[in-house]
Amino acid sequence: MARHLPRRWLMMLVTGLSIAQVCDAVDGAPEYRVKAAFVYKFATYIRWPVSIAAEGSAPFVIGVLGADPFGTSLSDVVRGQNVQGRVIHIRVLSRVEEALACDLVFVSSSEQRNLPQILATLRAAPVLTVGDIEQFAEQGGMVGLITTEDNHVRFDINKAAIEGAGLRASSQLLQLARVVVEARGGHR
Amino acid sequence: MPASASIGRRLGWLSIFSSATALLAASVALLFFQLQEVKSSLVLRLETVADLIAFNVASAVDFNDAEAAKTMISSLKTRPAVVSAGIIVNGRMFATYRRKDVTASELGDLRIPPTGHRFGADELTVYRPVSSEGRPLGTLFIHVDLHEYHQTWRRFALVTGLVAIPALLIALLLSQLPQRLISRPILNLASLAAAVSDRKDYSVRAPSVRSAAEIEQLIGTFNQMLTEIQGQHAEIEDARATLERRVVDRTRELESRTGQLEVQGRELAAANRELESFSYSVSHDLRAPLRAIDGFSKALLSDYRTGALDERGIHFLERVRAGTQRMSQLIDDMLHLSQVTRRALARADVDVTAVAQEVAAELAKRNPDRVVRCVIGPNLRASADSHLLTIVFENLLANAWKFTGAKPEALVEVGQTVIDGAVAFFVRDNGAGFNETYAGKLFGAFQRLHHESEFEGTGIGLATVKRIIMRHGGLVSAEGVEGLGATFYFTLGGKS
Repeated sequence: MARHLPRRWLMMLVTGLSIAQVCDAVDGAPEYRVKAAFVYKFATYIRWPVSIAAEGSAPFVIGVLGADPFGTSLSDVVRGQNVQGRVIHIRVLSRVEEALACDLVFVSSSEQRNLPQILATLRAAPVLTVGDIEQFAEQGGMVGLITTEDNHVRFDINKAAIEGAGLRASSQLLQLARVVVEARGGHR
Repeated sequence: MPASASIGRRLGWLSIFSSATALLAASVALLFFQLQEVKSSLVLRLETVADLIAFNVASAVDFNDAEAAKTMISSLKTRPAVVSAGIIVNGRMFATYRRKDVTASELGDLRIPPTGHRFGADELTVYRPVSSEGRPLGTLFIHVDLHEYHQTWRRFALVTGLVAIPALLIALLLSQLPQRLISRPILNLASLAAAVSDRKDYSVRAPSVRSAAEIEQLIGTFNQMLTEIQGQHAEIEDARATLERRVVDRTRELESRTGQLEVQGRELAAANRELESFSYSVSHDLRAPLRAIDGFSKALLSDYRTGALDERGIHFLERVRAGTQRMSQLIDDMLHLSQVTRRALARADVDVTAVAQEVAAELAKRNPDRVVRCVIGPNLRASADSHLLTIVFENLLANAWKFTGAKPEALVEVGQTVIDGAVAFFVRDNGAGFNETYAGKLFGAFQRLHHESEFEGTGIGLATVKRIIMRHGGLVSAEGVEGLGATFYFTLGGKS
């Protein structure tokens, strides 16, 4: 945990700034390396409807909607991996409609204002939506990434949204979620 | 009852021993297999628990959520046997759980966590892989103490013991039945044998029973033996009765013979007494006429020597006087002999050497013209009548003196020797000796082996010696060689 020390010094220097901003500014790349790994791992704890999985040879497509915060870290994570035997492809999306052709979409924080529209477009489609926008899951996203005060990445899950899209989250994943949203729009 | 254990008790102990051994072996085997079973089920249960937890913590490990992982493995606190548990990821401890009372746990090298399970004396550790979708994430271990296991096997041992002891008792009770079948007939036989031995009653028989073949045979043989003993006993009784009859007959016969002998003895003694008094009176009464003959012959010689009697007459008268003197001597000797017989025996400790020396000195004084070398053994002692012993030596030494008369160097010895284990005295001379063919005649009265013209004597001396020695309960014997000498031996009976 060598990275704790410089972070604390900076915290003392840059008072008044939000912790998220500090982390974003200074530890952006390492944080997104963790988040990239999380994105890939979510795919392993979620079951897509059989009809889609049955296509077999079709690649598993991960789309990044909006400004790509991962750099090479996401492609580094998925290199040589697969999801239930499907090769993983990464696409950077510019339009929300393109997301319908993906299995998993990471909604970048740059799309914060378009989020209701994006989620409305993808409603009921078998696409796992992941994002690190604040209150992502509460607003209707499926998996919302959160960075805790001690700089750990955690996540919230909107179980109703996942089930509404015909996907199924494993209990192993659910038990790790910080907040589980049971009903659409509901808060816990 | 005999001091050693009875056959029933021995058979009892034998069956206790064999049952106990079998039960012990069975119990130990059972316990061993039960414990193996308990061990493997313990491992299996723990592995199942570990697998469940490994499945649960997989996502926490995957998403690097140590808090969640710790919470999950802390669910083990509901199991008091779990001492500690932990997840090892990339050689580091990702999350741990420790029972409240446990302060630290030794974990060894985390870089290469083992697999499977490890049994210690007091603890068991299982290691299970943590993985997700086939991706290995780490290793979960659970460390339990064996308190429960120890309790379990103690309970098993207790139950086994509780089962084994009644089983042993039942086995014993059951073994009594066939054992009775064997021991009862043998015990009966033993008491029967004791009864036979005590009462000498050989008519009893052991009742035949249904039992082991050998025991039936034993009873049969025993009865057969009793029959044989009974037969032999009867024969022995017969023989004894015959023998007793014979003994009674013989005793009666002997008694009658003894009676006859006693009568004869009494008659003989009476005859002997009569004979002795007769010879005494004869010799005594003969003295008076003899003295008359001698006295008148002497008067004739003194009164009629000059004139009335010629040389022939004087010679005849002197012959008459010599004859009367000889007869007087004879009568004296015979009186002496009968006195010896009649006198009561007075035994005392006698200095034999002194007696012999005294007698020899007397003889030397009476025969001053003789030179006789007399050797008398020193310190000779005997228990005898000293007066009679003196008579013995007077006779024997006088004889020796007499029969050595023709020898130029006469030698007379008195000494002591041993004949047939008894102390014997001897008187030896180197005189005329005698022909041993006639040795038996030596000790009879009036028996002479030499002509009177050679050696004077009445022939009564040795008879007197024999009488004295016989009265002492001793024996007398003689040996001799004609012309070389004679030796007379005598013992004195009694203790000496």
